[in-house]
Amino acid sequence: MIEVVLNDRLGKKVRVKCNEDDTIGDLKKLVAAQTGTRPDKIRIQKWYNIYKDHITLKDYEVHDGMGLELYYN
Amino acid sequence: MANRTDPLARNVHGTNPQNLVEKIVRSKIYQNGYWKEQCFGLTAETLVDKAMELDHFGGTYGGARRPTPFLCLILKMLQIQPDKDIVVEFIKNEDYKYVRVLGAFYLRLTGTVTDVYQYLEPLYNDYRKLRRKLNDGTFALTHVDEYIDEILTKDYSCDIALPRVQRRWNLEASGVLEPRRSALEDDFEEEEEEKEEEDAEPMDTDDRHKEYYRGRSPTRERDRDRDRDRDRDRDRDRDRDRDRERKHDSYKYRDRDYDRDYDRGRDKDRDRERDRDRDRDRDRGRERERDRDRDRDLYRDREREREGGRERDRKDRDRGRSRSRSRDRYDRDRDRKRVRGSPSPQKEKKKEKREKKEKVTDGTDHPDPEIAEANRLRASLGLKPLKL
Repeated sequence: MIEVVLNDRLGKKVRVKCNEDDTIGDLKKLVAAQTGTRPDKIRIQKWYNIYKDHITLKDYEVHDGMGLELYYN
Repeated sequence: MANRTDPLARNVHGTNPQNLVEKIVRSKIYQNGYWKEQCFGLTAETLVDKAMELDHFGGTYGGARRPTPFLCLILKMLQIQPDKDIVVEFIKNEDYKYVRVLGAFYLRLTGTVTDVYQYLEPLYNDYRKLRRKLNDGTFALTHVDEYIDEILTKDYSCDIALPRVQRRWNLEASGVLEPRRSALEDDFEEEEEEKEEEDAEPMDTDDRHKEYYRGRSPTRERDRDRDRDRDRDRDRDRDRDRDRERKHDSYKYRDRDYDRDYDRGRDKDRDRERDRDRDRDRDRGRERERDRDRDRDLYRDREREREGGRERDRKDRDRGRSRSRSRDRYDRDRDRKRVRGSPSPQKEKKKEKREKKEKVTDGTDHPDPEIAEANRLRASLGLKPLKL
């Protein structure tokens, strides 16, 4: 189980517990449950790399405590 | 300048019509090539030409959420706000199905409730295929009537939040609309007459679990009525007080409890109830007398689910204690009495056991409350529990 921090730099900072083999799509669902936006409106990025929905966190090398950027579509 | 709404345009749902599309999606449309090149200076007539060239529909797609031409034309229509007769012409035309869908979607966004139901329900009879662009850029197959059903029942489509329309039975109850007459109703009336002759003898519960069940309800409703009447006296006293409180809030709680019933895993009944829900919208006219009976059935179903759930939880928590054992026996007796006229208690017990087993591997009973709560959320989203 890892804990990922998502920050949208406008006031929303969300800590989400998830598994390493969860996909980005699952992570978006968990974030949506916590923030209240729809999961398909959320975009997760790291600098200019937009993270795709079907790839797991492990493959993106997202580790425990890592911060991701939260944007909206 | 080019993006401003026509100054003569009316307010729609209390706001600038372009605001029906969210800010982010709107900005994406304004920056889009199709919008800038093709949608500049469009009028109602030239818009028809552009609409005839459409060959798919959808919202935004891809990682950068590019809008489809369909979405651009919708925003253009919101901007220039064509007259209602033009929109109705779009819907009535038979040749170009995407023009039809465009007009239907625009009417759904801007029209009044009666207009929406009046003009969109004839489109239920159109069964042509449509090409839909999904969020990831791939295409999917759908049909006109499927899509009309989606925009009439869901509240989000093509990346636009649809304005709220009341349920059809609310409008029928208030007399604003006529009960819906399906185009297939004549066919079903014939079948109904045949069924009546066959069902001379009383039904027993096995018949209800037959593999074949009619998609539409008329025969089933009648059989359910017969069983329900048999049980009514037995259960009436027990249920009367509870029903009196619940009846106040029936409409408020009805849909939510339906969703709760779906998740409880009563597989055999799920399809029946789902069809019942759809049927309520379609076959309202025939079932007006049976409304009251159906309400009573709904309450009884809901109560049975609640009793079953409470009993299950108690079983889990107080496994070793003798106090609960006698209480469980009491509940089981009460449930058995009540349950006699419904799907057999053995099948329900089996389902409870299966659900109990599923719950145990869920991780929701973890000692750490944070992890338990996270697992509960994951279970509700359909994800596996956390690996610790």
